[in-house]
Amino acid sequence: MSEDKQPVSRRQFLNYTLTGVGGFMAAGIMISPLRMAIDPVLQQGEGESDFTNVQLAEEDITNVPQRVDWEIEQVDGWYESTVSQTAWVYKDDNGDIVALSPICTHLGCVVSWEGSEDHPERFYCPCHDGLYYKDGVNVEGTPPTAPLPVYEHKIENGMLFLGNSQSREEA
Amino acid sequence: MKWIKQDLQQYVQAKEYVDTIIIPLLPFQLSNDSNLEKDAFQSEILSVFNRELEKELTGRVLLAPNFHYLTSADKEAEMERVHTWVEDIQTQPFHHVFFVTSDSGWKKVEQSLQGSLIWLPATATESMKASDIQSVIRSQVKEVTELIRSYWKG
Repeated sequence: MSEDKQPVSRRQFLNYTLTGVGGFMAAGIMISPLRMAIDPVLQQGEGESDFTNVQLAEEDITNVPQRVDWEIEQVDGWYESTVSQTAWVYKDDNGDIVALSPICTHLGCVVSWEGSEDHPERFYCPCHDGLYYKDGVNVEGTPPTAPLPVYEHKIENGMLFLGNSQSREEA
Repeated sequence: MKWIKQDLQQYVQAKEYVDTIIIPLLPFQLSNDSNLEKDAFQSEILSVFNRELEKELTGRVLLAPNFHYLTSADKEAEMERVHTWVEDIQTQPFHHVFFVTSDSGWKKVEQSLQGSLIWLPATATESMKASDIQSVIRSQVKEVTELIRSYWKG
């Protein structure tokens, strides 16, 4: 046993060991706060899962608003229920898809496209004669004070998917 | 609007817009085993119908709580009780009172009702698929909505 066969001295060995163990301990302490800090990045986009296939092919959407009905599961605390949803869907002059909520912004009745013969080319609310233009903006002088809410939408495999409706401010 | 806290909050503020009330008339019994399922099913269907109808016209219509009575009860006597309901309701500015029922017994005493009776024959049956029942109810709602709107215009 000669001196040159021991390249690692006792002192060096202890140094390496302590650094290694200390490193592991530091990493153990750091990992939770780090995971928390970058958590939003790791979340799978939650909004995405809210989209529902409403069984309407993109090619069937015309420039005349048509009514689509679908159902979503709603969880309210421990109470689960199916809620029916409705939208008026059409393509605007630029060919972009528009999906409007039919809930009147006055008191919540269900409006329909050309629902009154006296008002062609308008969304009509049967309760208090509220009117909206084709883009969902309320006609001034009728009870509603805000435009119809718009649904988020996307096309996947040629089918229309609708998400949450978003209310709009008065135009 | 329904008889729930949230809707009634809105009702108090928007009274002048809500001039129509719908009162469901629902029979109830537990004494006749052979009719139990059928009767309960009819009552379920009518409740779904009322909910959907209310949803269409929510801004102008108040859906009253169900008026329950015994299937075997005498209609004349029940009529008295209905009158007291209507009396109380009339303290608010309601111009149109509708009764919705699938009990044909009310049809015979319709004249004494202080309001319009909408009698829905029981069209949906237990053997139907859920989706079929839905479409039956949806078309009934559409027609009754039209009927109520014709009262508003008139």
